[in-house]
Amino acid sequence: MSDPDKIWPTGLTEREAEEVHSYLIDGTRVFGVIALIAHLLVAVSTPWLG
Amino acid sequence: MIQFRKFALSKISRIAPRYLPFADVATEDLPLSRLLRLALFQVTVGMALVLLVGTLNRVMIVELNVPASLVGIMISLPLVFAPFRALIGFRSDIHKSALGWRRVPYIWKGTMLQFGGFAIMPFALLVLSGYGEAVDAPAWIGLSSAALAFLLVGAGVHMVQTVGLALATDLVPVEDQPKVVGLMYVMLLLGMIVSAIVFGALLTDYTPGRLIQVVQAAAVITVALNILALWKQEPRDRTRANSIAPVPEFREAWGVFVTGRNAIRLLIVIGLGTMGFGMADVLLEPYGGHVLDMSVAQTTRLTAVLAVGGLAGFALASRVLLRGADPIHVAFWGAVVGVPAFGAIVLAAPFHSVAGFVLGTLFAGFGAGLFGHGTLTATMRNAPREQIGLALGAWGAVQATAAGIAVALGGVIRDLIVAMPGSEAFAAEAPYVPVFALEIVFLALALLVAYPLLRRMAGPEQRAHYVSTKTTDLAAKSVP
Repeated sequence: MSDPDKIWPTGLTEREAEEVHSYLIDGTRVFGVIALIAHLLVAVSTPWLG
Repeated sequence: MIQFRKFALSKISRIAPRYLPFADVATEDLPLSRLLRLALFQVTVGMALVLLVGTLNRVMIVELNVPASLVGIMISLPLVFAPFRALIGFRSDIHKSALGWRRVPYIWKGTMLQFGGFAIMPFALLVLSGYGEAVDAPAWIGLSSAALAFLLVGAGVHMVQTVGLALATDLVPVEDQPKVVGLMYVMLLLGMIVSAIVFGALLTDYTPGRLIQVVQAAAVITVALNILALWKQEPRDRTRANSIAPVPEFREAWGVFVTGRNAIRLLIVIGLGTMGFGMADVLLEPYGGHVLDMSVAQTTRLTAVLAVGGLAGFALASRVLLRGADPIHVAFWGAVVGVPAFGAIVLAAPFHSVAGFVLGTLFAGFGAGLFGHGTLTATMRNAPREQIGLALGAWGAVQATAAGIAVALGGVIRDLIVAMPGSEAFAAEAPYVPVFALEIVFLALALLVAYPLLRRMAGPEQRAHYVSTKTTDLAAKSVP
């Protein structure tokens, strides 16, 4: 807590917080694309909505 | 408010570390339970390998009626990434992160790739096989999505294994490395055996729905096990996180690496030996069936025999290496054992001796265990502290490429001989014997290349190292 860079309430520095955030963003993007491809493939073999 | 803030901060700072995935920097030695947990990533690698090469291979050909040549191409796609292991390992060596991590981000990315590949794989395969309405869909959809799925899983496996091994090497002191190598191999084998049995049992009553369930369950298990393996393993390094030293280029780093003691020669030995041991993997069962008239149940048990031999090899290698034996000697004797083992397999045909064949298989596994353990331990031991990722990446690149080429080559040679005009007149063993003979040749070449290493590795530098570590039992060194 003596480190002035650490920010309340997580105790991470700003750079560390940004890095953690970047993992979240990357993960969301990757999983989003994967989910999209999976849905497209399912739609090709067993179409729904008409 | 100020009061509350102070209270919350002190509370968080006390509780948080327990719930965060960071390791204590202070831990001097690694308890076995933590090592075992780290080795779980090898279980997921084994699971992925079995799923790709074993289970899905069969399901695609038998249940989904995909042409065998297309299946072969799809399965060998991940091999494309094998040479990039050296690059991945290098990147993890120089990775700069504010959190002070360098291995965890790569293992996590690899895990995501594995998960993503498995998530779309069953649907891609169903589309590829023309299931349901997919019959009318253009062929490129199925082809490209299946290729994408295999590539994602393959890239993920290469990444997780390379960086995972580098992390394990980071964490343990030099004298404990043989223990880690043994553990990693055993966990890989365990993951392969258990998942082969479980997948086989789950897919006996094949339905498309069951295929989706099994593959996606594998995806979830992969993520779960890898997170469990990573948790609180890598210590944070603030000095590295804040350093502004220029990072070397891959070319430079590689140049430094290959000038290291016998790095290239060791890699050649690994390649030749892996080819020598790996070529027969898929041919042992048909050889036993066609030539020695073994039943399906008997030939299936051959895989178990090979695995038991491998386990015995790992166990013995761990034991003698922990006593201070030279890993190169262990690998050398592993290849030496392999030559008569494959000789016995070849001679089993003229003598029609199932016992000789099984014994040969057992010792081929044993030799492969010794060889694999010895070469990986040697790689770890020779790696400079700052190039562990690169060294293990190079090991993985050579090993995975050689194993892939060996399996493909073995199959191609057999098929070529079978397809030769007039091949009906050949004896039943004719398509197999040249492959086993070639394995003996590769092992002999590996021995030839490795021979100069035996003396040089035990040079003064090495000897000093042994005395400085706790090993005083120099006599054990000459008894690999």
